[in-house]
Amino acid sequence: MSPAALLRRVAPVLACIGLLAVWQVASLALKNDSFPTATEAIRAIPDILGDKESLINILASLRRMALGFGVAVLISIPLGLLMGRSRGVAAFFNPLLMVIYPVPKAALMPIIMLWLGVGDVTKTLVIFLGVSLPVIYHSFEGAKAVEEKMLWSGAAMGLSPAQRLVRIVLPAALPEILTGCRTGLVLALITMITSEMIARQSGAGNILFNALDMGQYDTVFAMIIIVGAMGISLDAIFERVRARLVRWSEPQFDMPLSFS
Amino acid sequence: MTVVPARSSKWVRPVTSQEPASAIIEIDRVSQVFQTSARKDHVALSDISLTIEEGAFVSILGPSGCGKSTLLYIVGGFVSPTSGSAKIKGHAITGPGPDRGPVFQEFALFPWKTVLGNVIYGPRQQGVRAAEAEAQSRALIKMVGLKGYENFYPKELSGGMKQRVALARTLAYHPEVLLMDEPFGALDAHTRTRLQNDLLNIWERDRKTVLFVTHSVDEAVFLSDKVVMMSKSPGRIREVIDIDLPRPRRRSELLLDPRYQKYVVDIERMFDESDEAGPAS
Repeated sequence: MSPAALLRRVAPVLACIGLLAVWQVASLALKNDSFPTATEAIRAIPDILGDKESLINILASLRRMALGFGVAVLISIPLGLLMGRSRGVAAFFNPLLMVIYPVPKAALMPIIMLWLGVGDVTKTLVIFLGVSLPVIYHSFEGAKAVEEKMLWSGAAMGLSPAQRLVRIVLPAALPEILTGCRTGLVLALITMITSEMIARQSGAGNILFNALDMGQYDTVFAMIIIVGAMGISLDAIFERVRARLVRWSEPQFDMPLSFS
Repeated sequence: MTVVPARSSKWVRPVTSQEPASAIIEIDRVSQVFQTSARKDHVALSDISLTIEEGAFVSILGPSGCGKSTLLYIVGGFVSPTSGSAKIKGHAITGPGPDRGPVFQEFALFPWKTVLGNVIYGPRQQGVRAAEAEAQSRALIKMVGLKGYENFYPKELSGGMKQRVALARTLAYHPEVLLMDEPFGALDAHTRTRLQNDLLNIWERDRKTVLFVTHSVDEAVFLSDKVVMMSKSPGRIREVIDIDLPRPRRRSELLLDPRYQKYVVDIERMFDESDEAGPAS
Protein backbone atom coordinates (compact mmCIF):
# COMPACT_ATOMS: atom_id res chain seq x y z
CA MET A 1 0.00 0.00 0.00
CA SER A 2 1.35 3.40 -0.94
CA PRO A 3 1.82 6.01 1.80
CA ALA A 4 -1.03 8.09 0.35
CA ALA A 5 -3.41 5.10 0.39
CA LEU A 6 -2.33 4.22 3.91
CA LEU A 7 -3.02 7.79 5.01
CA ARG A 8 -6.49 7.64 3.45
CA ARG A 9 -7.26 4.49 5.38
CA VAL A 10 -6.13 5.74 8.77
CA ALA A 11 -7.46 9.30 8.30
CA PRO A 12 -10.80 8.64 10.07
CA VAL A 13 -8.95 7.06 13.02
CA LEU A 14 -6.67 10.08 13.19
CA ALA A 15 -9.75 12.33 13.15
CA CYS A 16 -11.14 10.42 16.15
CA ILE A 17 -7.90 10.66 18.08
CA GLY A 18 -7.68 14.36 17.23
CA LEU A 19 -11.20 15.04 18.49
CA LEU A 20 -10.53 13.16 21.74
CA ALA A 21 -7.27 15.06 22.22
CA VAL A 22 -8.97 18.44 21.77
CA TRP A 23 -11.66 17.32 24.20
CA GLN A 24 -9.05 16.21 26.76
CA VAL A 25 -7.14 19.49 26.55
CA ALA A 26 -10.28 21.64 26.65
CA SER A 27 -11.62 19.75 29.65
CA LEU A 28 -8.32 20.05 31.57
CA ALA A 29 -8.17 23.76 30.78
CA LEU A 30 -11.77 24.54 31.76
CA LYS A 31 -11.77 22.43 34.96
CA ASN A 32 -15.58 22.27 35.01
CA ASP A 33 -17.49 19.54 36.91
CA SER A 34 -19.99 19.12 34.09
CA PHE A 35 -17.24 18.62 31.53
CA PRO A 36 -15.25 15.47 32.36
CA THR A 37 -12.08 14.64 30.45
CA ALA A 38 -12.11 12.23 27.56
CA THR A 39 -10.25 9.60 29.60
CA GLU A 40 -12.82 9.81 32.42
CA ALA A 41 -15.63 9.34 29.92
CA ILE A 42 -13.92 6.41 28.22
CA ARG A 43 -13.28 4.80 31.61
CA ALA A 44 -17.03 4.95 32.33
CA ILE A 45 -17.90 2.98 29.18
CA PRO A 46 -17.13 -0.53 30.56
CA ASP A 47 -19.35 0.21 33.58
CA ILE A 48 -22.29 0.94 31.31
CA LEU A 49 -21.72 -1.98 28.96
CA GLY A 50 -21.12 -4.31 31.92
CA ASP A 51 -24.42 -3.39 33.54
CA LYS A 52 -27.20 -5.81 32.57
CA GLU A 53 -29.92 -3.19 32.98
CA SER A 54 -28.15 -0.73 30.67
CA LEU A 55 -27.45 -3.43 28.12
CA ILE A 56 -31.14 -4.41 28.02
CA ASN A 57 -32.01 -0.75 27.54
CA ILE A 58 -29.58 -0.29 24.68
CA LEU A 59 -30.70 -3.50 23.00
CA ALA A 60 -34.33 -2.39 23.30
CA SER A 61 -33.37 0.86 21.58
CA LEU A 62 -31.66 -1.01 18.76
CA ARG A 63 -34.65 -3.32 18.35
CA ARG A 64 -37.06 -0.40 17.95
CA MET A 65 -34.69 1.26 15.57
CA ALA A 66 -34.32 -1.87 13.43
CA LEU A 67 -38.08 -2.39 13.35
CA GLY A 68 -38.88 1.25 12.52
CA PHE A 69 -36.18 1.39 9.87
CA GLY A 70 -37.08 -1.98 8.33
CA VAL A 71 -40.80 -1.31 8.05
CA ALA A 72 -40.15 2.21 6.74
CA VAL A 73 -37.83 0.94 4.01
CA LEU A 74 -40.22 -1.86 3.00
CA ILE A 75 -43.09 0.61 2.55
CA SER A 76 -41.20 3.66 1.29
CA ILE A 77 -39.24 2.08 -1.56
CA PRO A 78 -42.27 0.68 -3.43
CA LEU A 79 -44.23 3.89 -2.77
CA GLY A 80 -41.38 6.12 -3.99
CA LEU A 81 -40.86 4.00 -7.11
CA LEU A 82 -44.57 4.06 -7.94
CA MET A 83 -44.62 7.84 -7.47
CA GLY A 84 -41.64 8.18 -9.77
CA ARG A 85 -43.26 6.19 -12.57
CA SER A 86 -46.91 7.16 -12.24
CA ARG A 87 -48.09 10.71 -12.55
CA GLY A 88 -51.34 9.85 -10.77
CA VAL A 89 -49.66 8.33 -7.71
CA ALA A 90 -47.21 11.23 -7.54
CA ALA A 91 -50.00 13.81 -7.82
CA PHE A 92 -51.83 12.12 -4.94
CA PHE A 93 -48.92 11.71 -2.51
CA ASN A 94 -46.70 14.69 -3.32
CA PRO A 95 -48.79 17.41 -1.62
CA LEU A 96 -49.16 15.19 1.45
CA LEU A 97 -45.43 14.54 1.68
CA MET A 98 -44.60 18.20 1.03
CA VAL A 99 -46.58 19.07 4.15
CA ILE A 100 -45.16 16.27 6.31
CA TYR A 101 -41.53 16.58 5.17
CA PRO A 102 -40.43 19.73 7.05
CA VAL A 103 -42.34 18.88 10.24
CA PRO A 104 -39.92 17.57 12.90
CA LYS A 105 -41.23 14.08 13.61
CA ALA A 106 -40.34 14.41 17.30
CA ALA A 107 -42.80 17.30 17.48
CA LEU A 108 -45.57 14.82 16.73
CA MET A 109 -44.60 12.70 19.71
CA PRO A 110 -46.83 14.32 22.31
CA ILE A 111 -49.90 13.52 20.22
CA ILE A 112 -48.75 10.01 19.40
CA MET A 113 -47.98 9.44 23.09
CA LEU A 114 -51.44 10.66 23.96
CA TRP A 115 -53.01 8.14 21.59
CA LEU A 116 -50.66 5.19 21.78
CA GLY A 117 -48.95 5.56 25.16
CA VAL A 118 -45.26 5.89 25.94
CA GLY A 119 -44.29 2.35 24.96
CA ASP A 120 -42.56 0.70 22.05
CA VAL A 121 -45.32 1.43 19.53
CA THR A 122 -45.01 5.19 19.86
CA LYS A 123 -41.23 5.23 19.65
CA THR A 124 -41.11 2.81 16.73
CA LEU A 125 -43.73 4.86 14.90
CA VAL A 126 -41.68 8.03 15.29
CA ILE A 127 -38.59 6.26 13.96
CA PHE A 128 -40.71 4.94 11.07
CA LEU A 129 -41.86 8.47 10.21
CA GLY A 130 -38.35 9.85 10.41
CA VAL A 131 -36.93 7.22 8.09
CA SER A 132 -39.79 7.10 5.56
CA LEU A 133 -39.49 10.54 4.03
CA PRO A 134 -35.88 10.54 2.82
CA VAL A 135 -36.30 6.99 1.51
CA ILE A 136 -39.51 7.89 -0.34
CA TYR A 137 -37.92 11.04 -1.72
CA HIS A 138 -34.78 9.34 -3.01
CA SER A 139 -36.73 6.37 -4.43
CA PHE A 140 -39.01 8.83 -6.18
CA GLU A 141 -36.11 10.80 -7.67
CA GLY A 142 -34.31 7.60 -8.66
CA ALA A 143 -37.36 6.14 -10.38
CA LYS A 144 -38.10 9.42 -12.16
CA ALA A 145 -34.59 9.52 -13.60
CA VAL A 146 -34.73 6.04 -15.17
CA GLU A 147 -34.10 6.34 -18.89
CA GLU A 148 -37.30 5.89 -20.86
CA LYS A 149 -35.49 3.88 -23.52
CA MET A 150 -34.24 1.37 -20.97
CA LEU A 151 -37.88 0.69 -20.13
CA TRP A 152 -38.75 0.48 -23.82
CA SER A 153 -35.98 -2.05 -24.31
CA GLY A 154 -37.47 -4.12 -21.50
CA ALA A 155 -40.98 -3.76 -22.93
CA ALA A 156 -39.74 -5.02 -26.31
CA MET A 157 -38.36 -8.12 -24.56
CA GLY A 158 -41.83 -8.77 -23.22
CA LEU A 159 -41.64 -7.41 -19.66
CA SER A 160 -45.03 -6.37 -18.27
CA PRO A 161 -45.37 -2.98 -16.52
CA ALA A 162 -45.11 -4.66 -13.10
CA GLN A 163 -42.03 -6.61 -14.17
CA ARG A 164 -40.46 -3.43 -15.50
CA LEU A 165 -40.97 -1.74 -12.14
CA VAL A 166 -39.31 -4.57 -10.21
CA ARG A 167 -36.67 -5.64 -12.71
CA ILE A 168 -35.69 -2.36 -14.37
CA VAL A 169 -36.81 0.63 -12.30
CA LEU A 170 -35.76 -0.90 -8.96
CA PRO A 171 -32.19 -1.87 -9.96
CA ALA A 172 -31.70 1.27 -12.06
CA ALA A 173 -32.77 3.46 -9.14
CA LEU A 174 -30.89 1.41 -6.53
CA PRO A 175 -27.90 3.77 -6.10
CA GLU A 176 -30.28 6.64 -5.39
CA ILE A 177 -32.51 4.48 -3.16
CA LEU A 178 -29.53 3.39 -1.06
CA THR A 179 -28.43 7.00 -0.67
CA GLY A 180 -31.88 7.62 0.81
CA CYS A 181 -31.55 4.57 3.06
CA ARG A 182 -28.20 5.77 4.36
CA THR A 183 -29.73 9.12 5.31
CA GLY A 184 -32.66 7.19 6.76
CA LEU A 185 -30.38 5.05 8.92
CA VAL A 186 -28.76 8.07 10.56
CA LEU A 187 -32.20 9.65 11.00
CA ALA A 188 -33.39 6.42 12.63
CA LEU A 189 -30.66 6.79 15.25
CA ILE A 190 -31.51 10.47 15.80
CA THR A 191 -35.24 9.86 16.15
CA MET A 192 -34.57 6.83 18.35
CA ILE A 193 -32.61 8.90 20.89
CA THR A 194 -35.00 11.83 20.61
CA SER A 195 -38.05 9.65 21.19
CA GLU A 196 -36.42 8.19 24.31
CA MET A 197 -35.67 11.65 25.61
CA ILE A 198 -39.31 12.63 25.28
CA ALA A 199 -40.95 9.40 26.38
CA ARG A 200 -38.47 8.46 29.10
CA GLN A 201 -39.10 4.92 30.06
CA SER A 202 -36.30 2.85 28.61
CA GLY A 203 -33.52 2.99 26.05
CA ALA A 204 -30.15 4.57 25.45
CA GLY A 205 -31.58 8.11 25.49
CA ASN A 206 -33.13 7.40 28.87
CA ILE A 207 -29.81 6.26 30.39
CA LEU A 208 -28.22 9.44 29.12
CA PHE A 209 -30.83 11.73 30.64
CA ASN A 210 -31.05 9.83 33.92
CA ALA A 211 -27.31 10.27 34.32
CA LEU A 212 -27.69 13.97 33.54
CA ASP A 213 -30.39 14.32 36.22
CA MET A 214 -28.15 12.65 38.77
CA GLY A 215 -25.11 14.68 37.82
CA GLN A 216 -23.11 11.66 36.62
CA TYR A 217 -21.40 13.60 33.89
CA ASP A 218 -18.84 10.95 33.02
CA THR A 219 -21.74 8.57 32.30
CA VAL A 220 -23.43 11.22 30.17
CA PHE A 221 -20.34 11.65 28.03
CA ALA A 222 -19.70 7.90 27.93
CA MET A 223 -23.24 7.41 26.58
CA ILE A 224 -22.60 10.07 23.93
CA ILE A 225 -19.53 8.12 22.87
CA ILE A 226 -21.48 4.83 22.81
CA VAL A 227 -24.34 6.28 20.78
CA GLY A 228 -21.88 8.00 18.45
CA ALA A 229 -19.96 4.76 17.97
CA MET A 230 -23.22 2.97 17.23
CA GLY A 231 -24.01 5.52 14.53
CA ILE A 232 -20.56 5.32 13.01
CA SER A 233 -20.54 1.50 12.97
CA LEU A 234 -24.03 1.23 11.52
CA ASP A 235 -23.15 3.74 8.82
CA ALA A 236 -19.90 1.94 8.01
CA ILE A 237 -21.62 -1.46 7.79
CA PHE A 238 -24.35 0.01 5.61
CA GLU A 239 -21.81 1.71 3.37
CA ARG A 240 -20.06 -1.64 2.84
CA VAL A 241 -23.30 -3.31 1.84
CA ARG A 242 -24.23 -0.37 -0.38
CA ALA A 243 -20.89 -0.31 -2.17
CA ARG A 244 -21.19 -4.03 -2.85
CA LEU A 245 -24.71 -3.72 -4.25
CA VAL A 246 -24.02 -0.83 -6.61
CA ARG A 247 -20.46 -1.59 -7.65
CA TRP A 248 -21.67 -1.38 -11.27
CA SER A 249 -22.52 2.30 -10.92
CA GLU A 250 -19.59 3.58 -8.88
CA PRO A 251 -16.93 5.72 -10.48
CA GLN A 252 -13.47 4.15 -10.40
CA PHE A 253 -12.24 6.45 -7.64
CA ASP A 254 -14.26 7.86 -4.81
CA MET A 255 -14.05 10.37 -1.98
CA PRO A 256 -13.52 8.69 1.37
CA LEU A 257 -16.79 9.51 3.10
CA SER A 258 -17.06 6.70 5.58
CA PHE A 259 -15.15 4.38 7.86
CA SER A 260 -15.60 1.33 5.68
CA MET B 1 -58.83 18.25 -32.61
CA THR B 2 -56.52 16.70 -35.16
CA VAL B 3 -56.65 17.92 -38.69
CA VAL B 4 -55.14 15.47 -41.09
CA PRO B 5 -54.01 17.51 -44.05
CA ALA B 6 -55.02 16.35 -47.47
CA ARG B 7 -52.33 14.70 -49.52
CA SER B 8 -51.32 17.77 -51.41
CA SER B 9 -47.57 17.55 -51.50
CA LYS B 10 -46.16 16.86 -54.91
CA TRP B 11 -43.46 14.79 -53.24
CA VAL B 12 -45.64 12.21 -51.61
CA ARG B 13 -45.70 8.99 -53.48
CA PRO B 14 -49.02 7.33 -52.76
CA VAL B 15 -48.76 3.82 -51.40
CA THR B 16 -51.64 1.73 -52.63
CA SER B 17 -52.72 -1.86 -52.44
CA GLN B 18 -50.55 -2.95 -55.33
CA GLU B 19 -47.68 -3.66 -52.93
CA PRO B 20 -46.32 -7.19 -53.02
CA ALA B 21 -47.67 -9.71 -50.54
CA SER B 22 -44.37 -9.89 -48.65
CA ALA B 23 -45.06 -6.63 -46.80
CA ILE B 24 -44.10 -6.99 -43.14
CA ILE B 25 -44.83 -3.48 -41.91
CA GLU B 26 -47.64 -1.31 -43.19
CA ILE B 27 -47.95 2.28 -42.05
CA ASP B 28 -51.24 3.77 -43.10
CA ARG B 29 -51.92 7.53 -43.00
CA VAL B 30 -50.16 8.03 -39.68
CA SER B 31 -50.12 11.49 -38.13
CA GLN B 32 -48.60 12.52 -34.84
CA VAL B 33 -49.40 15.80 -33.17
CA PHE B 34 -47.73 16.92 -29.94
CA GLN B 35 -49.27 19.66 -27.89
CA THR B 36 -46.32 21.92 -27.14
CA SER B 37 -48.33 24.64 -25.42
CA ALA B 38 -51.94 25.46 -24.75
CA ARG B 39 -52.41 27.22 -28.07
CA LYS B 40 -49.86 25.64 -30.37
CA ASP B 41 -49.67 22.09 -31.68
CA HIS B 42 -46.56 20.65 -33.22
CA VAL B 43 -47.29 18.34 -36.14
CA ALA B 44 -44.44 15.83 -35.95
CA LEU B 45 -45.78 13.51 -38.62
CA SER B 46 -48.36 14.29 -41.23
CA ASP B 47 -50.16 11.61 -43.18
CA ILE B 48 -47.38 9.07 -43.51
CA SER B 49 -48.05 5.93 -45.52
CA LEU B 50 -45.27 3.44 -46.08
CA THR B 51 -44.92 -0.26 -46.70
CA ILE B 52 -41.80 -2.17 -45.77
CA GLU B 53 -41.08 -5.51 -47.35
CA GLU B 54 -39.79 -8.48 -45.45
CA GLY B 55 -36.01 -8.73 -45.50
CA ALA B 56 -35.47 -5.17 -46.70
CA PHE B 57 -32.99 -2.72 -45.22
CA VAL B 58 -34.89 0.54 -45.20
CA SER B 59 -33.47 3.84 -43.99
CA ILE B 60 -35.54 6.80 -42.94
CA LEU B 61 -33.48 9.87 -43.75
CA GLY B 62 -34.25 13.42 -42.81
CA PRO B 63 -33.17 16.53 -40.95
CA SER B 64 -33.54 16.61 -37.18
CA GLY B 65 -37.08 17.45 -36.17
CA CYS B 66 -38.71 15.73 -39.15
CA GLY B 67 -40.29 13.10 -36.91
CA LYS B 68 -38.28 10.17 -38.24
CA SER B 69 -37.59 8.79 -34.77
CA THR B 70 -41.23 9.23 -33.84
CA LEU B 71 -42.18 7.12 -36.84
CA LEU B 72 -39.83 4.39 -35.61
CA TYR B 73 -41.30 4.59 -32.09
CA ILE B 74 -44.78 4.17 -33.56
CA VAL B 75 -43.68 0.98 -35.34
CA GLY B 76 -42.05 -0.14 -32.09
CA GLY B 77 -45.33 0.40 -30.25
CA PHE B 78 -43.66 2.79 -27.79
CA VAL B 79 -45.75 5.73 -29.01
CA SER B 80 -49.34 5.67 -30.26
CA PRO B 81 -50.07 7.75 -33.34
CA THR B 82 -52.62 10.55 -33.07
CA SER B 83 -54.35 9.13 -36.13
CA GLY B 84 -53.79 6.42 -38.67
CA SER B 85 -52.51 2.94 -38.00
CA ALA B 86 -49.43 0.76 -38.21
CA LYS B 87 -49.46 -2.98 -38.76
CA ILE B 88 -46.95 -5.76 -38.53
CA LYS B 89 -47.75 -8.91 -40.52
CA GLY B 90 -51.31 -7.66 -40.84
CA HIS B 91 -51.83 -7.19 -37.09
CA ALA B 92 -52.38 -3.71 -35.68
CA ILE B 93 -49.49 -2.55 -33.50
CA THR B 94 -50.84 -1.79 -30.02
CA GLY B 95 -47.65 -1.95 -27.97
CA PRO B 96 -44.05 -3.13 -27.89
CA GLY B 97 -43.30 -6.78 -28.54
CA PRO B 98 -40.36 -9.12 -29.10
CA ASP B 99 -41.09 -9.26 -32.83
CA ARG B 100 -39.66 -5.72 -33.08
CA GLY B 101 -36.26 -5.16 -31.49
CA PRO B 102 -35.09 -1.58 -30.87
CA VAL B 103 -31.51 -0.33 -30.84
CA PHE B 104 -31.23 3.23 -29.54
CA GLN B 105 -28.65 5.95 -30.00
CA GLU B 106 -28.42 6.11 -26.18
CA PHE B 107 -27.64 2.35 -26.02
CA ALA B 108 -30.09 1.97 -23.10
CA LEU B 109 -28.15 -0.99 -21.69
CA PHE B 110 -28.93 -2.25 -18.20
CA PRO B 111 -25.94 -0.83 -16.29
CA TRP B 112 -26.32 -3.27 -13.37
CA LYS B 113 -25.88 -6.24 -15.70
CA THR B 114 -22.66 -7.43 -17.29
CA VAL B 115 -22.31 -7.73 -21.05
CA LEU B 116 -23.46 -11.35 -20.83
CA GLY B 117 -26.22 -10.39 -18.40
CA ASN B 118 -27.55 -7.82 -20.86
CA VAL B 119 -27.47 -10.13 -23.86
CA ILE B 120 -29.02 -13.10 -22.06
CA TYR B 121 -31.84 -10.97 -20.62
CA GLY B 122 -34.17 -11.23 -23.62
CA PRO B 123 -33.85 -14.97 -24.23
CA ARG B 124 -34.33 -15.70 -20.51
CA GLN B 125 -37.43 -13.50 -20.49
CA GLN B 126 -38.70 -15.49 -23.49
CA GLY B 127 -38.27 -18.69 -21.48
CA VAL B 128 -35.16 -20.11 -23.14
CA ARG B 129 -33.37 -22.51 -20.76
CA ALA B 130 -30.36 -21.00 -18.98
CA ALA B 131 -27.65 -23.17 -20.55
CA GLU B 132 -29.00 -22.73 -24.05
CA ALA B 133 -29.53 -18.99 -23.63
CA GLU B 134 -25.98 -18.60 -22.34
CA ALA B 135 -24.46 -20.50 -25.26
CA GLN B 136 -26.44 -18.40 -27.75
CA SER B 137 -25.53 -15.18 -25.97
CA ARG B 138 -21.83 -16.01 -25.88
CA ALA B 139 -21.94 -16.76 -29.61
CA LEU B 140 -23.64 -13.40 -30.27
CA ILE B 141 -21.10 -11.53 -28.15
CA LYS B 142 -18.37 -13.16 -30.18
CA MET B 143 -20.16 -12.24 -33.40
CA VAL B 144 -20.30 -8.54 -32.51
CA GLY B 145 -16.58 -8.69 -31.70
CA LEU B 146 -16.68 -8.55 -27.91
CA LYS B 147 -15.30 -11.97 -26.99
CA GLY B 148 -13.46 -11.64 -23.68
CA TYR B 149 -15.70 -8.81 -22.44
CA GLU B 150 -18.56 -11.05 -21.24
CA ASN B 151 -18.11 -10.09 -17.58
CA PHE B 152 -17.54 -6.36 -18.08
CA TYR B 153 -20.09 -3.82 -16.92
CA PRO B 154 -21.37 -1.22 -19.43
CA LYS B 155 -19.56 1.61 -17.61
CA GLU B 156 -16.27 -0.12 -18.42
CA LEU B 157 -16.94 -0.08 -22.18
CA SER B 158 -16.48 2.60 -24.85
CA GLY B 159 -19.46 3.98 -26.80
CA GLY B 160 -18.83 1.73 -29.80
CA MET B 161 -18.59 -1.34 -27.58
CA LYS B 162 -21.78 -0.40 -25.78
CA GLN B 163 -23.61 -0.18 -29.09
CA ARG B 164 -22.26 -3.60 -30.07
CA VAL B 165 -23.68 -4.99 -26.82
CA ALA B 166 -27.00 -3.27 -27.50
CA LEU B 167 -27.14 -4.85 -30.96
CA ALA B 168 -26.30 -8.30 -29.57
CA ARG B 169 -28.88 -7.86 -26.80
CA THR B 170 -31.58 -7.12 -29.36
CA LEU B 171 -30.54 -9.87 -31.81
CA ALA B 172 -30.57 -12.34 -28.90
CA TYR B 173 -34.35 -12.53 -28.76
CA HIS B 174 -34.71 -12.94 -32.53
CA PRO B 175 -36.94 -10.02 -33.45
CA GLU B 176 -38.34 -10.15 -36.96
CA VAL B 177 -37.68 -6.45 -37.46
CA LEU B 178 -34.74 -4.44 -36.17
CA LEU B 179 -35.65 -0.86 -35.32
CA MET B 180 -32.48 1.21 -35.24
CA ASP B 181 -32.81 4.78 -34.00
CA GLU B 182 -29.70 6.70 -35.13
CA PRO B 183 -27.67 3.90 -33.57
CA PHE B 184 -24.29 5.27 -34.58
CA GLY B 185 -25.16 8.93 -34.05
CA ALA B 186 -23.25 9.26 -30.78
CA LEU B 187 -20.05 7.63 -32.04
CA ASP B 188 -16.90 9.11 -33.54
CA ALA B 189 -16.40 8.84 -37.31
CA HIS B 190 -13.95 5.93 -37.17
CA THR B 191 -16.05 3.81 -34.80
CA ARG B 192 -19.12 4.68 -36.80
CA THR B 193 -17.58 3.36 -40.03
CA ARG B 194 -16.49 0.13 -38.37
CA LEU B 195 -19.91 -0.46 -36.90
CA GLN B 196 -21.59 0.20 -40.24
CA ASN B 197 -19.36 -2.42 -41.87
CA ASP B 198 -19.99 -4.93 -39.10
CA LEU B 199 -23.73 -4.29 -39.14
CA LEU B 200 -23.82 -5.00 -42.89
CA ASN B 201 -21.82 -8.20 -42.42
CA ILE B 202 -24.18 -9.39 -39.71
CA TRP B 203 -27.24 -8.34 -41.68
CA GLU B 204 -26.12 -10.05 -44.86
CA ARG B 205 -26.10 -13.39 -43.01
CA ASP B 206 -29.78 -13.56 -42.14
CA ARG B 207 -31.34 -10.54 -43.88
CA LYS B 208 -33.68 -9.47 -41.13
CA THR B 209 -35.95 -6.58 -41.93
CA VAL B 210 -34.27 -3.38 -40.72
CA LEU B 211 -35.80 0.03 -40.24
CA PHE B 212 -32.89 2.40 -39.78
CA VAL B 213 -33.26 6.06 -38.81
CA THR B 214 -30.40 8.39 -39.68
CA HIS B 215 -29.60 11.92 -40.77
CA SER B 216 -26.47 10.84 -42.63
CA VAL B 217 -26.90 10.52 -46.40
CA ASP B 218 -23.75 8.36 -46.81
CA GLU B 219 -24.85 6.01 -44.10
CA ALA B 220 -28.33 5.61 -45.57
CA VAL B 221 -27.06 4.93 -49.11
CA PHE B 222 -24.28 2.61 -47.95
CA LEU B 223 -26.57 0.41 -45.87
CA SER B 224 -29.98 0.45 -47.48
CA ASP B 225 -32.09 -1.15 -50.17
CA LYS B 226 -34.48 1.74 -49.91
CA VAL B 227 -34.12 5.27 -48.58
CA VAL B 228 -37.22 7.09 -47.37
CA MET B 229 -36.54 10.82 -47.52
CA MET B 230 -38.49 12.97 -45.12
CA SER B 231 -39.00 16.70 -44.91
CA LYS B 232 -39.85 18.57 -41.74
CA SER B 233 -42.52 20.89 -40.39
CA PRO B 234 -44.67 18.92 -40.75
CA GLY B 235 -42.87 15.60 -41.14
CA ARG B 236 -43.80 14.08 -44.47
CA ILE B 237 -42.37 11.53 -46.84
CA ARG B 238 -41.00 13.45 -49.81
CA GLU B 239 -39.39 10.67 -51.80
CA VAL B 240 -38.69 6.96 -51.62
CA ILE B 241 -35.52 5.98 -53.45
CA ASP B 242 -34.48 2.44 -54.28
CA ILE B 243 -30.76 1.97 -53.87
CA ASP B 244 -29.79 -0.37 -56.63
CA LEU B 245 -26.26 -1.30 -55.60
CA PRO B 246 -24.86 -4.84 -55.54
CA ARG B 247 -24.44 -6.80 -52.34
CA PRO B 248 -22.43 -7.75 -50.43
CA ARG B 249 -21.25 -4.19 -50.28
CA ARG B 250 -17.68 -3.33 -49.43
CA ARG B 251 -17.00 0.22 -48.40
CA SER B 252 -13.69 0.42 -50.28
CA GLU B 253 -15.39 -0.59 -53.53
CA LEU B 254 -18.56 1.38 -53.00
CA LEU B 255 -16.89 4.71 -52.33
CA LEU B 256 -15.31 4.51 -55.80
CA ASP B 257 -18.52 3.40 -57.49
CA PRO B 258 -20.05 6.26 -59.55
CA ARG B 259 -23.55 4.91 -58.92
CA TYR B 260 -23.03 5.24 -55.14
CA GLN B 261 -21.66 8.74 -55.59
CA LYS B 262 -24.64 9.71 -57.75
CA TYR B 263 -27.14 8.51 -55.12
CA VAL B 264 -25.40 10.54 -52.45
CA VAL B 265 -25.16 13.68 -54.58
CA ASP B 266 -28.75 13.41 -55.84
CA ILE B 267 -30.16 12.99 -52.36
CA GLU B 268 -28.09 15.84 -50.96
CA ARG B 269 -29.23 18.07 -53.80
CA MET B 270 -32.87 17.24 -53.14
CA PHE B 271 -32.45 18.21 -49.49
CA ASP B 272 -30.76 21.48 -50.49
CA GLU B 273 -33.61 22.35 -52.82
CA SER B 274 -36.23 21.72 -50.21
CA ASP B 275 -34.29 23.87 -47.73
CA GLU B 276 -34.43 26.78 -50.12
CA ALA B 277 -37.99 26.27 -51.34
CA GLY B 278 -39.50 25.15 -48.04
CA PRO B 279 -41.32 27.44 -45.63
CA ALA B 280 -39.35 28.92 -42.78
CA SER B 281 -39.67 26.62 -39.81
